[in-house]
Amino acid sequence: MKQSIIINGTEHAIDVDGNMPLLWFLRDHLEFTGTKFGCGSGLCGACTVHVDGQAIRSCVIPVSTLVGKKITTIEGLSENGDHPLQKAWLNNNVPQCGYCQAGQIMNAASLLAVNASPSEEEIDTAMQGNICRCGTYQRIKKAIVEAADTLSKEV
Amino acid sequence: MSISNISRRNFLKTAGAATGGLVIGVALPMNALAAKGIMKDSGEELNAFIQIDDNGDTIIYCGRCEMGQGISTALPAAVADEMEADWARVTVKQGDGDEKYGPQATGGSASIRVMFQPMREAGATAKAMLIAAAAKVWKTSPDNCFAESHFVINKTNNQRLGYGELASIAANMPVPEKPTLKNKSDFKYIGKALPRHDQGEVVVGKRIYGVDTKLPGLKYAAIVHCPVLGGALKSLDKSDALKMKGVSDVIEIPRFNIPFGSIGGVAVVADNSWTAQQAVKKLKIAWDLGENVSYDTKEYKQQLVRNVEKPATLASERGDIKKAFGEAKHKMSATYTGGHLSHAPMEPNASVVWVQKDSCEVWASTQSPADIQKVLGQYLKREPKDIVVHVAMAGGAFGRKFKCDYVHEAAVISQETGAPIQLIWTREEDMRTGYYHSINAQHIEASMDDQGNVTGWLHRAAFPSIGTLFDPSMIRTPARSLGDVTDHLFGVENMRVESGDAKAHTRIGWYRAVYAIFYGFAFGTFADELAYKAGKDHLSFVNQLFDNNKNKEQQAQIKRAKNILAIAADKSGWDKRQNLPKGQGIGLAVHYSFQSFVAMAVHVEVKGDDIKVLNVDCVIDCGQVLNLDGATAQMEGAVVMGMSLALSTEVTFRGGAVVNSNFHDYPVMRISDMPNVRVHIPDSDESPTGLGEPGVAPFAPALSNAVFAASGKRYRDLPFKPLSV
Repeated sequence: MKQSIIINGTEHAIDVDGNMPLLWFLRDHLEFTGTKFGCGSGLCGACTVHVDGQAIRSCVIPVSTLVGKKITTIEGLSENGDHPLQKAWLNNNVPQCGYCQAGQIMNAASLLAVNASPSEEEIDTAMQGNICRCGTYQRIKKAIVEAADTLSKEV
Repeated sequence: MSISNISRRNFLKTAGAATGGLVIGVALPMNALAAKGIMKDSGEELNAFIQIDDNGDTIIYCGRCEMGQGISTALPAAVADEMEADWARVTVKQGDGDEKYGPQATGGSASIRVMFQPMREAGATAKAMLIAAAAKVWKTSPDNCFAESHFVINKTNNQRLGYGELASIAANMPVPEKPTLKNKSDFKYIGKALPRHDQGEVVVGKRIYGVDTKLPGLKYAAIVHCPVLGGALKSLDKSDALKMKGVSDVIEIPRFNIPFGSIGGVAVVADNSWTAQQAVKKLKIAWDLGENVSYDTKEYKQQLVRNVEKPATLASERGDIKKAFGEAKHKMSATYTGGHLSHAPMEPNASVVWVQKDSCEVWASTQSPADIQKVLGQYLKREPKDIVVHVAMAGGAFGRKFKCDYVHEAAVISQETGAPIQLIWTREEDMRTGYYHSINAQHIEASMDDQGNVTGWLHRAAFPSIGTLFDPSMIRTPARSLGDVTDHLFGVENMRVESGDAKAHTRIGWYRAVYAIFYGFAFGTFADELAYKAGKDHLSFVNQLFDNNKNKEQQAQIKRAKNILAIAADKSGWDKRQNLPKGQGIGLAVHYSFQSFVAMAVHVEVKGDDIKVLNVDCVIDCGQVLNLDGATAQMEGAVVMGMSLALSTEVTFRGGAVVNSNFHDYPVMRISDMPNVRVHIPDSDESPTGLGEPGVAPFAPALSNAVFAASGKRYRDLPFKPLSV
């Protein structure tokens, strides 16, 4: 039986070399290009996706280790692009080039899933692995706080 | 049908006088476009930039390259404002590489300076033709009509016609000779805080960058270059690489002997990027490292310091510096240095190229599509216009993607294999075999009288010049590259500027802010050192330096520089700095570059060697602002980039090769270091000037001055806290 992986709710056969990092399985094999290549070594966070809800760096995780796991990418974070973080990102005009932002949003979503109202320090710690070379950090922080507020009101 | 039939009319040719007589064809006459095969005779574009469908949907093209600086929002919004378009009805499209868009090479913070006026005129022209069309329908005078939010309205009876309904009628209207531009008070988009047109796509992962291009039959390539500039391939054993499953080819890339050309290398072609990257590691390559093999930046920097601390080659001189020094009450000297920098945009160099018998198509994140057309035209022995360049959104660039060596390489591989090729450089290749901001040293000696007036200024700069790409025999920076020193706004009657020897041993390539990085640092920091020596505070000392400038042609600039410095000081609480807790301090700096003025007040806390930046007040005067939010974002980003280069980033060479390899040893700023940045933009009616780059320069000197104020420790070398690699 072929091994498979569930990406954004759809099952996909892992019919590649199992050592291939999830990033390239997504980008080159499935052509889901929302997840970005930045460093290839888990240093910049541009490739962040969720494995069973938790943020991981897809550039260093072999796809064979993810058999049966549920992967969420930026394309699958919300049905209509209306996750509170996505809305807060728009509301604060966060992106400049935007290349790192999928990773930033996915990382932040993972943070908010376990810590609904993070302090500024907790945001810093959680987001420390995600580089933005355009320098949008101030707006990222603001957007995360705003999304956390929205989420707290929803509960 | 769309607006068409503006044929045989010289639609809109505008001289961009502000940039020195540059003539920009905003649109060529339709018949000329048809003759060139650019569009069919019937024509579907009002000009190269605006297209209105008969349902009113409007496309505005952006000819300048987008890399995050927001030009593809700012310029189309200016068009939309002048044509009274409803921004919600406008789709922005990126223009392909094509001369019909005017100059597309996007650098030097020049887009707004070059394109603002012609784009406004294009919009105003469209509006005038739409109004004329409505007047014809209503059998009234155009003066009796006005345009508002995608409609033309009849003043007499309030009848309305939509732009869609009017589009094809407008196409038969005469083109106004000189369209009337709006008054500033009537602007709806220009000068407002408009969100980027594409951020909705960004947050759902649908924005397509150069690296995201996919084509049927696409093959993936990875590359390795000789680690030392000027080296060459000695031997290559590709057998292990070729044995890997999914690997189809190993291609030797020749050196392109042009300034921004590929240095040559070896590429592997595979089914996917990862396999290609793995296979590159299996290549057994011996390089002939060549003459730069002894390049060592630690030694080289020391040599530069020696070269500026002794007499060097004269670049310019005014007054009598000997006399000034002879009569001095105080004398002061200092030497400042900085290391190589890598642009390191988050999106590594990437492109797709497909060379076929009768065509060549390129999809690339690039700042310079015309250069790709020219270089590939030469390489493939075809006309530049036959090289189709689709300009992709760049995931950051900062000057790196002005140099399109990665595109040349993809073209070679595609030519050799016949397949469409996506070549992505790894981060390591980008870090190790890229283009680098100049390593540099600057030595300043100044004399002062007993009133703290600076009477003499000797400035020696040494850095390998960008010009070495064009003339490798160049052994020192030419006088023209020291113009920003000679023409600095500080008023010093007696000045001598010298250029120290500095041969290049790697590829020097423009990095965001260029010379302003090190000139801004040297001038801004030395002014603080002089102020201290004279027993004055920075603000009053620098104002005095400005006031001593009697050059009539610089008075307007001095006024603006002083104004923003005053605002920065005021916003930062400069007057109350004595009340700051022990270990805290505020530093100021102001710098003029890319025709804009930026001042910063940096508030730090220093504990031992630890520098924590708390607040940054950043003030920019770039004349009229197109997008207030975009301008604010550019300043926030410039602070972050300035902070990276001030504190931590440096590219180190040993044995001719770069030692750094990725973000662990090229530590760009991360979120926990982010200070509270407050951007202040005074209203201005001056012509719009540079925005993307000028914010970078003042940060490092303001930080050095702040740390000195807080701790008494003076940093003169960038980065202040280099990582040992």
